[in-house]
Amino acid sequence: MTHLSTSDEGADHGEQTERRWAAVAVAILVLLVVMATFAALYHGAMPQSRVETADPRTLHLGGEFIESNLGSALEPDGTVTVRFIGQQYSFTPSCILVPTDTPVTFRVTSADVVHGFLIDGTNINLMLVPGYISSLGARFETPGERLMPCHEFCSVGHEGMWGRIKIIDKAAFSRMAAERRRLSCVE
Amino acid sequence: MTRERIVSLRNPWFTRSVGITAAIAIVAAVVGFVWLPLQHPGERFKSVWDAICSAAGLVRNAAPGTQIVRADYPTTRVEIDPQMLSGASAESIGRGATLALRCTMCHGARGLSQADTPNLAGQYPVAIYKELLDFKTGARVSAIMAPLVADLSDADMRDLAAYYAYLPRVTSSGAAAGEAPPIVTSGAPLRSIAPCGACHGEVDSKASAAWLEGQPAVYLRTQLEAFASGARRNDIGEQMRNVARGMTAAEIDAASEFYARAQ
Ligand code: HEC
Ligand code: HEC
Ligand SMILES: [Cu+2]
Repeated sequence: MTHLSTSDEGADHGEQTERRWAAVAVAILVLLVVMATFAALYHGAMPQSRVETADPRTLHLGGEFIESNLGSALEPDGTVTVRFIGQQYSFTPSCILVPTDTPVTFRVTSADVVHGFLIDGTNINLMLVPGYISSLGARFETPGERLMPCHEFCSVGHEGMWGRIKIIDKAAFSRMAAERRRLSCVE
Repeated sequence: MTRERIVSLRNPWFTRSVGITAAIAIVAAVVGFVWLPLQHPGERFKSVWDAICSAAGLVRNAAPGTQIVRADYPTTRVEIDPQMLSGASAESIGRGATLALRCTMCHGARGLSQADTPNLAGQYPVAIYKELLDFKTGARVSAIMAPLVADLSDADMRDLAAYYAYLPRVTSSGAAAGEAPPIVTSGAPLRSIAPCGACHGEVDSKASAAWLEGQPAVYLRTQLEAFASGARRNDIGEQMRNVARGMTAAEIDAASEFYARAQ
């Protein structure tokens, strides 16, 4: 008899431990989901919302990446779309012009091999993969000039692949956009 | 002793644990597939199915936003494939030799010219073919070359490219070219200039970039200045304009002199 009752107690105890462990496991799962969501919203750690393609060999023949369409475009809704390409061993345009306090969407692709797009001093960091369009939203608060090194080794001239980005006052940008449909700071 | 079955709806442990896991998975899926993608600027919700397909990586090109701005000058129409002209046949070279009789006046009997006209002997076939096509479409402007290519067919251009590529390059006179200037050996990284040889063949070749050694200095300088000013803009994706724009006048001189000497 005594023997049986102790074993019952043990089962009760075991069930309680198991319930605790289950709760811990569920809490870890929920925490991971919350952390991923938080990083996505506040640290921009979010994959692109859609996969888009572009043939690297025919970029210059038609479509949005022809040379006359590259650069910054002021959209009717007041946002800015910046299109550029990475290729061995430069970005085109090699100097990118964006306004302050404006939602900016970058649309970038590679014309040959994998390149990197990174803006110094920000958390903007993308890979440019031939065949795919990388897109990213950003907003710049302070005017200034920043460097854009290619950070994926792209063959022997890689160390010479640096772009620049110039952030200028919103009003000055609008004045320039009234005169030209695609802007850059290439002289 | 009969044990209770674990996987059974009558086992409350089973129903609860599977239920909670499924609930977390569904909430995470809605957040990840639908809600977070909508936080991207410019994204609108169309349907759950559309959201799931996009997030799962199905290719969906965006509707073209603003109108595409077209160039008001001719741009190159050539699609480069590095292998496009490799393995020319003897017949092709022969036909090219016949066609080349019209070119000898300026480019020399064996593709080596005397005046400041570029040498063609031993040039990469892709470079010759591309330039001929660009002269024809007007992407590369030359009042001299344009009428000469007007009646050349695509096959003629391939044959000419094969013939000139087959001719031997300028032979070395043994005279040292002297030390290469820094702009040639290391470029200028902070002005986004890679070493010339990374594309022009000394270290690595970028298809369509020409072999420069032995070209007349005047010709090289004129071309570099034309790229820098935008008078020549047939380079795909502005790859050579980006280089030339960043070069100083002294660097253009130094590079032109060096390549003209180097043979
Ligand atoms: C009347 C003189 C003349 C004749 C004839 C001539 N060319 Fe030319 N060619 C030139 C000149 C000058 C240039 C340099 C053009 C420039 O300054 O952009 C040139 C440039 C070229 C180039 C570009 C070279 C490079 O490295 O970029 C090619 C290729 C070429 N010619 C091929 C031919 C072929 C093939 C023929 C015969 C069908 C021909 N040329 C006939 C004068 C001539
Ligand atoms: C990123 C690769 C790259 C680098 C680096 C580069 N070039 Fe070029 N260059 C090209 C390409 C590609 C062309 C051919 C453009 C076209 O399609 O007509 C070209 C064309 C030229 C031409 C015209 C040749 C002709 O006969 O038509 C000259 C001259 C020239 N480059 C000089 C230089 C010099 C000097 C340097 C170094 C300071 C340099 N390039 C660095 C890619 C490059
Ligand atoms: Cu690169």
